[in-house]
Amino acid sequence: MARYILYRLAMAVPLFLGAVLLIFVAGHLAPGDPVQTMLGDRYTPATAAVLRHQLGLDRPLTDQFLTYLWQLATLRLGTSYVNPGLRIGDLIGTALPVSLRLSALAVAVAALAGTALGTVAAAAPGRPLDRLIQFGVVLGLSVPSFVTAAALVYMFALRLHLLPVAGWGRPADYALPVAVLAVAPLAFITRIARSSVGQALLEDYVRTARSKGLRTPRVLFRHVLRNAALPVVTTIGMAFGTAIVGAFVVEVVFNVPGIARVAVNAIFQRDYAVLQATVLVYTALFSVVNLAVDVSYAYLNPRVRY
Amino acid sequence: MLVRALAGDRLAAASAGFLFALVVLAVAGPLATRYTYDAQDLDALFRGPTAAHWFGTDQFGRDSFSRIVHGARVSLSVGLAAVAGESLLGLTWGTVAGYYGGAVDHALMRVVDLLIGFPTILLAILVTGIFGPSLANIIAALVLTAWPGTARTIRSEVVAIREREYVDGARALGATTPRILVRHLVPNVAHLVIVRATLDASTLVLAEATLSFIGVGVQPPHPSWGQMIYESFQYLDGHPLLLVFPAAALSVTVIAFNIVGEFLSRVLDPRYVAGRRP
Repeated sequence: MARYILYRLAMAVPLFLGAVLLIFVAGHLAPGDPVQTMLGDRYTPATAAVLRHQLGLDRPLTDQFLTYLWQLATLRLGTSYVNPGLRIGDLIGTALPVSLRLSALAVAVAALAGTALGTVAAAAPGRPLDRLIQFGVVLGLSVPSFVTAAALVYMFALRLHLLPVAGWGRPADYALPVAVLAVAPLAFITRIARSSVGQALLEDYVRTARSKGLRTPRVLFRHVLRNAALPVVTTIGMAFGTAIVGAFVVEVVFNVPGIARVAVNAIFQRDYAVLQATVLVYTALFSVVNLAVDVSYAYLNPRVRY
Repeated sequence: MLVRALAGDRLAAASAGFLFALVVLAVAGPLATRYTYDAQDLDALFRGPTAAHWFGTDQFGRDSFSRIVHGARVSLSVGLAAVAGESLLGLTWGTVAGYYGGAVDHALMRVVDLLIGFPTILLAILVTGIFGPSLANIIAALVLTAWPGTARTIRSEVVAIREREYVDGARALGATTPRILVRHLVPNVAHLVIVRATLDASTLVLAEATLSFIGVGVQPPHPSWGQMIYESFQYLDGHPLLLVFPAAALSVTVIAFNIVGEFLSRVLDPRYVAGRRP
């Protein structure tokens, strides 16, 4: 087990470094000169040269990359070029917890509801409830999140006045964003849970339990769910990744002060340093999530060994 | 064979028919609509569906039907161009990696692993955010997000079939490697490419809509369904119809691509037997 974790870590590090390199190169290919942006009206070739030297932008690219790596390692993300005085570390420090909270809530809701729905559907295959749930899954996977967002906002905020349209901080503000963000993971998890529980219900031990006289709910709880849990757990990990990405639309629509909104604003302001930093944070998050998913899978499945 | 299989699956047939009609409409585009997508009529704001405006008008009096059709033009051409690009790139990459194996395979697949690790929307946003949201950049960004998946699928299949007798036979007859790749391997992975391309079409059309929705995709005045949906949010309270039409168009298109893709994956599977329902 420890060997597997080490192996996975060894795989993850070069991948992450490769991603950092990609992001670094992309940042340098960006149009516009950061020195010019910073100096604005006070730009003269002499001042520019001095500033460029101060920032280290006149050193060879390999040097700059290594410095960049070192700064990342010590978590110094620099300052924004467009909004000088704005420390990127602070910006991300306030925005990241918001996004994480949102995603975690969404995945939790999706996991609980998805497992429940999938199990219910698998317990009565082919029946109207199962068909309804399956239809819901297809809708959840195909209908874009902003459409769901609009529908939910229209229904609950504008017509029924149950929930606020925008704002952040009060518990009620969480309801709609979490609901919208949870739709896609919910569909995924329901589908996997349904197929996994469905498979497990065909096993011999279920037949034995039933012939002993146990009724379906007891069979499910005592035997089936434990064995069917494995694919669902891995899907939950993947669902977290989906939620992190889905946050882009949700944060833009509901104006949630999270990392995705920071990234989108950075794009509109041409603030490439901030954009780079946010993409890096996302990549790091993703690597961690993938690592956790793989390790949890290896832990739960005795057949995966290295 | 396909047509007969379609006759047995009404849902897939309906989806395929819808997509065909959509493409025809998109291509015919300006010829089919009475108004252009940016013709404003400030006397006729927010009208509902009438004989003159089949889908009503928007906040500037522009004809919604024309905008939807033009949006189809834009979304479909971007999506399909991206699919073509990523299929070609993924097919070539995967075939070469799968056939040669060894160090070549290892190196090529490391690149794929690196890109697959990136969340797709993030990659697309990075590209269009930094290099600008021109149509070419959007297509490039979408290709970048989708080709690693195709490459991986194709490579697995090529690894599975490269030891088959017909490949051996071709080699024994003196076929050069390029010939083997093109004449023998590619046709035998073609069905995977087709299925993947269809499913990727749904993903990429959705991705383009998402990019346009956020604001880093197709820019106004060119309409895109995602952009139209974003604009409709402001008027949601009084005029929900503005949202309904582009949202429906987008959703139905995505669902149709998914249904056709799953149909094709069932029908093109070499183990498929016509007339037998699994």
